[in-house]
Amino acid sequence: MAQIFHPRANTVAIAVLVSIPVVVVLVFVVNYQLHASSYTTGEGRFVDQPVPFSHKHHVGDLGLDCRYCHGGVDKVAFAGLPPTHTCMTCHSQLFTNAAMLAPVRQSLATGIPIRWNRVYRLPDYVYFDHSVHIRNGIGCTTCHGDMSEQPLTEKKTPLTMGWCLACHRHPGTHMRDEADIFDPHVPDPHNDPRKAVAMLRHYVVETANMTDCSVCHR
Amino acid sequence: MSAGTEISRRAALKLFAAGAAVSLAGCSRPYEEILPYVDMPEGMAAGEPEYYATALPLGGYARGVIVKAVEGRPIKIAGNPRHPASLGATDIFGEAEIMALYDPERSGTIRGPNSISGWSEFFAELLARTDKAKSGAAPLHILTSTVTSPTLLRQIAELSGQVPGTRWFAYDPAGGAAEGARLVPRLDKAKVIVSLDADPLGPGPMQVVLGRRFIDGRRSADQRMSRLYAVESIWTLTGANADHRLALPPAGIEAIAMEIAGRLGGGNAPPADLPGEARHFVEAMLADLKAAGQGALLLAGGSLSAAARKAVDDANRKAGAPVDRIEPPQGLPHPEALGDFLASLYGGKVENLLVLDCNPAYDAAPGKTFADRLEAVPFAVHAGCYDDETAGLCRWHLPLSHPLEAWSDLTSADGAVSIVQPLIRPLYETRSAHEVVALYAGQPTPSGHDIVRATWRQDETDEAFENWWRGTLVSGIVSGRAPKSSSLSPAASPAEALAPEDAARTPPKGGFTAVLRPDPTIYDGRFSNNAWLQECPKPLSKGTWTNVVSLAPVDAQALSVEDGDVVAVASVEGAVEGPARIDRGQAKGVVGLTLGYGRLRAGAIGTGLGYNARLLAPGSLGNVVAGVKVIRTGRRAPVPSTQMHFSLEGDLGKLLPEVTAGEALPGAGKPREPVPSLFGPGPAKDPYSWAMVIDTAACIGCNACVIACQSENNIAVVGPDEVANGRAMHWLRIDRYDLGDAAEPRHGFEPVPCMHCEKAPCEPVCPVEASVHDTEGLNVQVYNRCVGTRFCQSNCPYKVRRFNWFAYNSGQEYQDLGKEPMRARFNPDVTVRARGVMEKCTYCVQRISGARREAEKTDTPIPEGGVTTACQDACPTRAIQFGNLQDPASKVNRLRADRRHFTLLAELGTRPRTTYLARVRNPNPKLAGDSA
Repeated sequence: MAQIFHPRANTVAIAVLVSIPVVVVLVFVVNYQLHASSYTTGEGRFVDQPVPFSHKHHVGDLGLDCRYCHGGVDKVAFAGLPPTHTCMTCHSQLFTNAAMLAPVRQSLATGIPIRWNRVYRLPDYVYFDHSVHIRNGIGCTTCHGDMSEQPLTEKKTPLTMGWCLACHRHPGTHMRDEADIFDPHVPDPHNDPRKAVAMLRHYVVETANMTDCSVCHR
Repeated sequence: MSAGTEISRRAALKLFAAGAAVSLAGCSRPYEEILPYVDMPEGMAAGEPEYYATALPLGGYARGVIVKAVEGRPIKIAGNPRHPASLGATDIFGEAEIMALYDPERSGTIRGPNSISGWSEFFAELLARTDKAKSGAAPLHILTSTVTSPTLLRQIAELSGQVPGTRWFAYDPAGGAAEGARLVPRLDKAKVIVSLDADPLGPGPMQVVLGRRFIDGRRSADQRMSRLYAVESIWTLTGANADHRLALPPAGIEAIAMEIAGRLGGGNAPPADLPGEARHFVEAMLADLKAAGQGALLLAGGSLSAAARKAVDDANRKAGAPVDRIEPPQGLPHPEALGDFLASLYGGKVENLLVLDCNPAYDAAPGKTFADRLEAVPFAVHAGCYDDETAGLCRWHLPLSHPLEAWSDLTSADGAVSIVQPLIRPLYETRSAHEVVALYAGQPTPSGHDIVRATWRQDETDEAFENWWRGTLVSGIVSGRAPKSSSLSPAASPAEALAPEDAARTPPKGGFTAVLRPDPTIYDGRFSNNAWLQECPKPLSKGTWTNVVSLAPVDAQALSVEDGDVVAVASVEGAVEGPARIDRGQAKGVVGLTLGYGRLRAGAIGTGLGYNARLLAPGSLGNVVAGVKVIRTGRRAPVPSTQMHFSLEGDLGKLLPEVTAGEALPGAGKPREPVPSLFGPGPAKDPYSWAMVIDTAACIGCNACVIACQSENNIAVVGPDEVANGRAMHWLRIDRYDLGDAAEPRHGFEPVPCMHCEKAPCEPVCPVEASVHDTEGLNVQVYNRCVGTRFCQSNCPYKVRRFNWFAYNSGQEYQDLGKEPMRARFNPDVTVRARGVMEKCTYCVQRISGARREAEKTDTPIPEGGVTTACQDACPTRAIQFGNLQDPASKVNRLRADRRHFTLLAELGTRPRTTYLARVRNPNPKLAGDSA
């Protein structure tokens, strides 16, 4: 009877045996890395918009307040996008014939809303409330980055659950004074525990429940 | 292996590779769009709910509600605290109007003689016909159900002035018509209440108010709490809540009514011929009534004869019993007008007919005779929300708007008037009843808004009227003015004598007596296509999706019928078939039937379920049909019932303890040594610890909480087959217990939501920590972690967890519930659960979160009453209380120290946050030995 296995089979067998756990580990490592990578989270991604709106120009150069357009941000869950009429308060006078503003004029004329594309998207099972963050010392730029330097809006943060929890575990270090909430620049981070405690006391924030599942999921 | 549908190995690999490639390519998500307003309404905040006061009809009568709308979509109904027929609570029918609004089967198109048509085509034909009517050739006949809208009354009166010979007929499909003043009992002031086949706590437009009043009367200092006697033939909610109940056939009840009314009035009524036990009951009841003086109250049901009802009314008047008498508006058609109408129709005198928002071919006179006659009417027009049985027989069908889509006004059963304002533009090309009547008055493009405002406009400035109008819309109730009305001319009311039909219909002697009642969840059939109501377990039988034929055990034995056997019930005029239910405590010789089922053209949900009890006596709206036969068919049709689902193991005395008035529950109210527990320490301290206390003595079993929970929390409908599999999804169930004598039990209700145990057995068994505690003491279920092992469900001693075996709400909906308009009903604050996920009561965590966020924004703590759960809001009797245990003054803390306080399955040491108060009975000492 002829030999079934070639002498090389030993080497192959050992290689296979060794590679099985390696492959398994690799699968996990690659998946984990991929999951947290900006490829999946969309961090640093730009989204096409019907009108190439520049926050750099409006916020950085002109100094418009965030709430001029995002009126709900300190009152309700959804920050809100400006109605066409808000754009037209200025653009009925300025750049009235600019080609890039054609969709805005068209929206006003037809009464059909402009279809903006969402940049910061959360899963449907996450319930986020802008107002409670704004009213308790979390500034816009903590999540949205320096708006005065974004000609086109870019997703600045990963919005993964781990990223949210990093802040929810130590909220005090991310809190700012009331006057700085709508500052378009990102302030220098502070790691002063005494300041963090003072901030928590100032905004009357209870931290006990901040990592409860029910805070964001329901 | 042959070819055909078989797939080769090579092809399978190709498909697999293609699938893998597609899944990689599918990684980038499509953009999600945001569409801001072009011009935002002032004061609007995108995504925030808005609340509007309006009113919803049931049997024609208003119940005031406050509707929550998110981005223009009405999503939740709650009671209007300022409205006297709501008092801030709701009933199942009100809550379920959300489902009705988005029902994809609701009629949306006009159907002409042959095909789909339009409003202008209809108006053209109407003009041609009304010209004829003006010359007197074909007088207009209008058939409606009960009308309480001042505007519609004005319009009909004006129309009958405009078109001479117009005749108006109205009927109540639920039966039980009463002439003269409506009587609204003050159950809170009465001390001894005797219900003679009346069902004040049962379904109806006054259920919320009467339930509240009844429990208020029971809650007054224990020694003086009211006592309720019920004499009835089949089980009703009133009987289930009574201290003493006597089951008798309708004839016996009639005799007792005459006797006690006579003897209470001081007269010498002939004693009713009763068996010994019943005689003892009546004597004890009479003595109690006499002792109560002005607190004695007799309630006569619709199945009693007019003479008996009058005798009862006289006795109440003489004794000064607490009853409000509400005078209906002048000129209403006689409640027995249906007989007149049928006489005209059968006599071939009706050529021009408008059937307005009612369905006589189903709920008044089902059968071939009526159908043939109606089809022969040359210009029959049906206007209604559904293309139903009657619509199919009429030349034209006009779609009516839902009450949440149109302007109107309505009167409640106790006389309060509300303006009905729309929450949303009509989803389809529909018009309101006012607009349809205006078409008949010759206006081609009427506006419901203007018509309703014209009714309420007085001689005043525009500004004064606008102020009044806005104020009225905000409060939801009309005050300080009467509607403009033109009284109906006598010609409009029925001129002919009553049809002698009823007299001619002498039933044969012997046989069974059929007693007909509106169905507890479907009412008179108007809600047949409402899946929430179909799946809502009937309060006593816990059956769903069908009606049953209930029989007394002795009768069932004589017929050798068992639960679920199909029996035929036959009268002289017709027969129906339905599954039998053996009801211990039902009167011998009586078959119990409910209305509302047996629909032929209800829609995908309601068609073909159950039987139509009106077939036993078409054309009559009576609640009793004598001389019927009951025949066993030999077939079986078990009813999908939830009674044995999720049943608890334990001693009845501990599961639902009962005390008599003034008594304390042993061991209640004292702080107890906590039962040792193997589970880890409880949640960390937080300013809030939520807890719920449910007073089982105040639960009348009406189910309002169940539907409110379903509406608030996006709970799926699973359909009859899945209910039969034990997979109903209601987070809150109402357990019915049989107490006392096994042969004639009393019933007790116990609503069971999640207990939110401090030592929750569901938590340690979850392998993925999807079932965890939060710091406020809530046992939360994290849907996006759940992998569906169902370990938590099997380890839950209270059986409150529900598993999504299929994507009941997200792709595998029952029937047409997944169709487009239906998706608009969802509450955006609650996740729509996917297949394979466990879910359960959350204590309305979205409301807690909302209150907490508001508190954190304003830096003020959540006040007592700052969070209410949906079930608590809906409860007519305020049986459910929710609050913060950390607040020593909170209501839940007070109730936890009550003498009747108990914990469900306390011996397990789970330390539930949901606890209970024991049931209270107030038996008559003279009847103490009796269990009935």
